[in-house]
Amino acid sequence: MSRRPGSRGSLRVRLLAGSLVWILGTLTVTGFVLTDLFRQHVASRFEAELHLHLDQLTANIETGPAGEPTLRADLSDPRLLKPYSGLYWQVDGVGDAERAVLRSRSLWDVTLAVPADSVPDGGVHVHRIAGPDRRRVVMMERVVRPADSPDRPLRLIVAADESGMTDPVREFVGLLVVALGVLAAGLVVAVGLQVSVGLAPLRRLREALATVRDGRSRQLEGAFPNEVQPLVDELNALLEHDAEVVARARTQAGNLAHAVKTPLAVLGNAAAREHGALAALVAEQVDAAQRQVDYHLARARAAAATRVPGMRTPVRPALEALVRVIQRLHAERRLQVVIEPPAAGQAEPAFRGEEQDLQEMLGNLLDNACKWAAHRVDVRLSGVSGQLQVVVEDDGPGLAPDEREAVFARGVRADEQVPGSGLGLAIVRDLACLYGGDARLEESASGGLRAVLVLPAA
Amino acid sequence: MRILVVEDEPKLAAQLVEGLTEAGYAVDHADNGRDAHFIGDVEPLDAVVLDLGLPLMDGITVLKKWRTAGRTMPVLILTARDNWHEKVAGIDAGADDYLTKPFHMEELLARLRALIRRAGGHASAELVCGPMVLDTRAGRVTVDGQAVSLTSHELRVLAYLMHHKGEVVSRSELTEHIYAQDFDRDSNTIEVFIGRLRKKLPPGLIETVRGLGYRLADPT
Repeated sequence: MSRRPGSRGSLRVRLLAGSLVWILGTLTVTGFVLTDLFRQHVASRFEAELHLHLDQLTANIETGPAGEPTLRADLSDPRLLKPYSGLYWQVDGVGDAERAVLRSRSLWDVTLAVPADSVPDGGVHVHRIAGPDRRRVVMMERVVRPADSPDRPLRLIVAADESGMTDPVREFVGLLVVALGVLAAGLVVAVGLQVSVGLAPLRRLREALATVRDGRSRQLEGAFPNEVQPLVDELNALLEHDAEVVARARTQAGNLAHAVKTPLAVLGNAAAREHGALAALVAEQVDAAQRQVDYHLARARAAAATRVPGMRTPVRPALEALVRVIQRLHAERRLQVVIEPPAAGQAEPAFRGEEQDLQEMLGNLLDNACKWAAHRVDVRLSGVSGQLQVVVEDDGPGLAPDEREAVFARGVRADEQVPGSGLGLAIVRDLACLYGGDARLEESASGGLRAVLVLPAA
Repeated sequence: MRILVVEDEPKLAAQLVEGLTEAGYAVDHADNGRDAHFIGDVEPLDAVVLDLGLPLMDGITVLKKWRTAGRTMPVLILTARDNWHEKVAGIDAGADDYLTKPFHMEELLARLRALIRRAGGHASAELVCGPMVLDTRAGRVTVDGQAVSLTSHELRVLAYLMHHKGEVVSRSELTEHIYAQDFDRDSNTIEVFIGRLRKKLPPGLIETVRGLGYRLADPT
């Protein structure tokens, strides 16, 4: 089914889009939170290590006789001995330019440029500064006052490459993005599956409706989930109600026909036995009344039927039954009524509509053909692209082109000599049009009339 | 020729009985399906005019019961139901013709004549026996082109014999087919009619088959 104007879009797209937005939002927030937690963790580990080195440095520093700082022993970490290794220490005199600056071997020829600030005794400060080899370093400083010269404090600095802190975070983020991406993909697939499984009953409902529309079924078949079943039950009830309404309309039409026509018959017969103006008037009016009743009953029956979905009528059996009837009704004419046999290996088209309406159309066409035929009536049945076509051909006198259209007009008869209400062909066309088909007359190969009835196929 | 009219509407039934009687048929009437079924089951009928909407038993049911029981008399359905699907149902139940109300009496008579004629295996509307011709449409008998004047009962006897030309027809069979059920029958009157017919018609046409009945012999 194509999307109609005014449609509110697809339920599937709605569910998928909603879930997608939710999944992406949640995972993004999760990613940021996890990254931040990890970054904090790495930073605290990093600082703890710096602190450890700073404590070691503090424990090993002493002042020489001139107050110059000296190292009692090398610090344990071998990186401090390797130039530009990424781990450094430095001891200076807190802006006291006279004091020599003691540095780790790893600093080589670089002196760390420490921002001037005052560090309270016992506290530490952390800064990010430019380090050797143009790399950023994180440094931790502490000010100590040697016991022998408390007025000349020493500033102890430990520094490490910032990459020691940022690299793990970058790696972590890389892994995290991949992991969350996989998770997101998995969730989207799961939601997609869930949506299609969840919406499967709706798809089945649509298929069931299609079978009803095509006339393959009268009711929606199959069991549906609790959420959909009430809808299905309602639809089935509606379909059944429609069918009942049509049946009732038909019965009432039939009752009305009976109620009106028997008195008409009595009147007509009584008038036929009399002579004079009154008798003629009654006879004439009885005929007129009969036509009106016939026409409006046929219309009423037709109008009711075309609105009921789920109708499918095989055409050939209906044709065969009607030919049986027509041969009885026109037994005196001894006509040959021949239905062309079905083509081998081809499915015969069925009519998407009510059997009685089909019989009404075909019956009137056959009846008309038999009234005019000289010896033979040919019937052909074919189906092309969603439509079925019934052709009824007689070998009678035929009709002039301008008369052909006129006989479809209500109550017009081509010849008053042949009995009939003259409504037959008008009813055929009315019914065909109500079903979205058509009826037309052409000249047959033998010069007679060819009636072509086109109807929707099921 | 004996005909059963099954019609529950009294006025229409009266018109039918009158019209058919005037046309020279012996007419029985039933106004409900059960009586109709009974009469059709036991009486020798030459044709039935059957309405469908009947009290007690539907016309289609009556017809099916007759056909199931092997009753083969021609049945013309006369009904207000004019749907083709009802015509199909009627014909498939075993009807031989279907006429919808309102109808013209002439058409009903023409169709009945045709039914009776075809039931006897006659294709033409004129039955011929030697020099004698019976025009079933007009109810007129001619011998060598000369009209023969017959009373309605004489015509009934002759018509029955003409429809069963060459067969031996018993007196009781003739009685059953020319009188309606409620008519006071006397089989001796048949002999009277046969006697009058023999006087009016060329000699030797109506043979007496001793102990069995009569036979219309075709001299050719």
